[in-house]
Amino acid sequence: MTARLFSPVVLFLLLVFLIGPFLIIIAASLSSGETLAFPPQGLSLRWVMKVFTIESFRDSFAMSMFLAIFGTLAALVLGIPAAYALSRYSLPAAETVRTIVSLPIIVPGIIVGLALLRYLVVPFGFNITLALFFAHTALVLPYAVRVVSASLDNLRSDIEEAAVLLGSSRLGAFFRVVMPNVRGGILAAFILGFVTSFNQVPVSLFLSGPGVRTLPIDMLGYMETTYDPSIAALSALLAFLSIGIVFLAERFLGFSRYV
Amino acid sequence: MFQNRAEALALALPAAVFATLVFLLPVAILLSEGFHAGGAWTLQAYADFFSETLNRTVFLRTFRLGLEVTAVSAVIGYAAAFAIVNLPPNGKGRMIGLVTLPLMISPVARTYAWIVILGRTGIVNQAITGLGFSAEPLRLLFTETAVFIGLLQLFLPLMILSLISALENMPKDAIPAARVLGANWFQVFWKVILPLTREGLVVGGTLVFTGSLTAYITPAVLGGSKVLMLETLMYQQVSVASDFVSASVIAFILIIMSFAANILLKRLATARNRR
Amino acid sequence: MNKALIASVALAALSPLGAAAAERTLTISVYAFAQDDFKTLVYDPFEAKCGCKLVVETGNSVERLAKMEANKANPVVDLAAVSMADALAASRAGLIDKVDTAKLSNFGKLYDVAKDPNGDGMSVGYTFYATSIAYRSDKMKIDSWADLLKPEYVGHVAFPNVTTNQGPPALYMLGLALGKDTHDLSGAIEALGEKKDDIVTFYEKSSQLVQLMQQEEIWAAPIGRFSWAGFTKLNVPVAWATPKEGQTGGMNVMVLTKGSKNQDLAMQFMDFWLSTEIQTKLAEKLVDSPANSEVKLSEAAANNLTYGEATAKSLKLIPSAVALDNRAGWLKTWNEKVGQ
Repeated sequence: MTARLFSPVVLFLLLVFLIGPFLIIIAASLSSGETLAFPPQGLSLRWVMKVFTIESFRDSFAMSMFLAIFGTLAALVLGIPAAYALSRYSLPAAETVRTIVSLPIIVPGIIVGLALLRYLVVPFGFNITLALFFAHTALVLPYAVRVVSASLDNLRSDIEEAAVLLGSSRLGAFFRVVMPNVRGGILAAFILGFVTSFNQVPVSLFLSGPGVRTLPIDMLGYMETTYDPSIAALSALLAFLSIGIVFLAERFLGFSRYV
Repeated sequence: MFQNRAEALALALPAAVFATLVFLLPVAILLSEGFHAGGAWTLQAYADFFSETLNRTVFLRTFRLGLEVTAVSAVIGYAAAFAIVNLPPNGKGRMIGLVTLPLMISPVARTYAWIVILGRTGIVNQAITGLGFSAEPLRLLFTETAVFIGLLQLFLPLMILSLISALENMPKDAIPAARVLGANWFQVFWKVILPLTREGLVVGGTLVFTGSLTAYITPAVLGGSKVLMLETLMYQQVSVASDFVSASVIAFILIIMSFAANILLKRLATARNRR
Repeated sequence: MNKALIASVALAALSPLGAAAAERTLTISVYAFAQDDFKTLVYDPFEAKCGCKLVVETGNSVERLAKMEANKANPVVDLAAVSMADALAASRAGLIDKVDTAKLSNFGKLYDVAKDPNGDGMSVGYTFYATSIAYRSDKMKIDSWADLLKPEYVGHVAFPNVTTNQGPPALYMLGLALGKDTHDLSGAIEALGEKKDDIVTFYEKSSQLVQLMQQEEIWAAPIGRFSWAGFTKLNVPVAWATPKEGQTGGMNVMVLTKGSKNQDLAMQFMDFWLSTEIQTKLAEKLVDSPANSEVKLSEAAANNLTYGEATAKSLKLIPSAVALDNRAGWLKTWNEKVGQ
């Protein structure tokens, strides 16, 4: 009897704990009051509207989108060949490559941002945006390599060999046989990378400059001076954006199989 | 498997070189500053760091909280993963989606939600005083408890997902077999589930522990300067005191802790069962 | 709009010297407060006037100073608004240039205290503010800085961290109230240390206080007058204390980065910001108190701001040199006694 109740109770409490705060943010964003409060004092869409009028949010949103999309693409361009090499060849320094590429996950973000600022931006006069771009690419690279590797490992290599035997070039075999079959994995990597990059805070803390900020940093800055529900509204909107992207991916490709 | 090594290297090199130049080198140089006070190679900076009580407190606290969050998330994780794995396929997919949902939301938003929830006039306190557990609202914000809760919510999904993966890879008849042989649930967990899902626990544990060590926003907002952690201390050193040496000392310590945790957990996973 | 922005950002990212703009760009580094008001009242009119583009970086004074230091060889910022003490730190680090006050048409109109706050000709004050205690008038009455430590209040108090601009002044006043006002602030820091478990938080961002006051986490906190506006919008009664030891405060100044290529534009901007017209507008909007003596304010505005030369002189400010020389020591004592 207790065993039967156990499951639903656990799951219910779990969902409350994990999703509850998100629902509260949504509720708080619909408040007509002046500060972040739950339960909200009255309902109104004014804070949601206000978000769109704040110019710095528009700029930093564009920056974050740019970094997330192109950073992840760059990580995939670098990572897919690497994943292929790790999975299909007996690479001499396989473990080393794997470790180097996975390091960004372990090193604290603040250190990454600081190191890049002091040793890349300042001495070489790198453009801050470029440094941010490099940093985000490096941060997403581990996910690109790992997820695509997992996908490749699940794909039998004899299909490729058969294609080559039948006259295709190696490159042709790669594009016509391998890629379509790991499409789901690549998409999963893209989505993971996108979300990771978009929500990234510590790295971007130092790599921001006049006119160059990512959206989370901008939100933090905004909160430092104005504590009103527009932040809740923005957070809710962003969350829906992320969820929307993932939902679409799930719909079209059932990508959860590849994570 | 293809054998052409040159090809393999050519494919893997761009990624490795990129990661090295853009990431490894700058970070390594920054870390070396911690060993380099005044031109000579020395551990003086580390001695100085640990000689201050505040630093020792922060170090122990970070370590302890990391362990606590990992342990609790393992317990809850197993319960949740087990429940989810036994759901019918539709429900399972949806639950997994819901569990993954928080990972999509910016940590900034999640942390600020907790301020509202844990505040004196927030729901938790409203429930506590309403139900009569306490006459006065409790102070929950700016305590270790608040940081603990924030970190737990942040990383629990990672543990759950790892354990789900591990539980699904378990042989399907292991548990029923044990039950038939008369094991109670505790024994089933300890002698069957745990050994067979070790790998998942290791992966999840590493992710949670490392994440807790290097989390920034959650301790900064929910704990403030009353609950300093290594990462928030490091930020303070850099942005306020411009003390890059201290910062690199802290960074190195954090990295070592992560590596150590990783290696330790891997050891535990591959250790043979002592029977 | 997104695509064009992304494309132009990509272009800028790929050219190491930055985008070659058709018009000149002035980069300023300022406090994050009231940027919406600044935009309408100051930035947009200036951009129209000079035909140039303004790029704004915001943050708190110390962090921005650290960035300026990091960018020393290749300055990114042309003009910065920082605290008096940070201006002295910048000048000691060789980051800023002398201000040629002859080029500022509005210089003569400034209060004397604002003309050369650090005595080195490298900064000009543009506003000053008082720092006192904001408190729930229905829960308590604050007559002295030491009231913050009273047993019935201390569990509802937030105090500024020593790393913030308000920290040392507040500590200094606390020391005065306790009769232990030495320059090393040790008396005040120790007193705080004894109550460190009771005090709600040692805040680093003053904006959080409004939320905390709203949520009843705190009933009182020392703040700078520039944060006051947010408190007035709460639906709990909050009052500004006039303790018997007096109020403290600070002055914010403008500095010119050394090696900047746009110093002439920066001077134009400085002059614009110091003009009677702009200072009056900013004051009427309750953004910043004027440092320009010719500004005449309406009564409503005057009551809400730190206004007038007499007021400026009555504030007990910590001299910049003292602040800088003791900063490291304060931090050490703080970490020992209060840090946790």
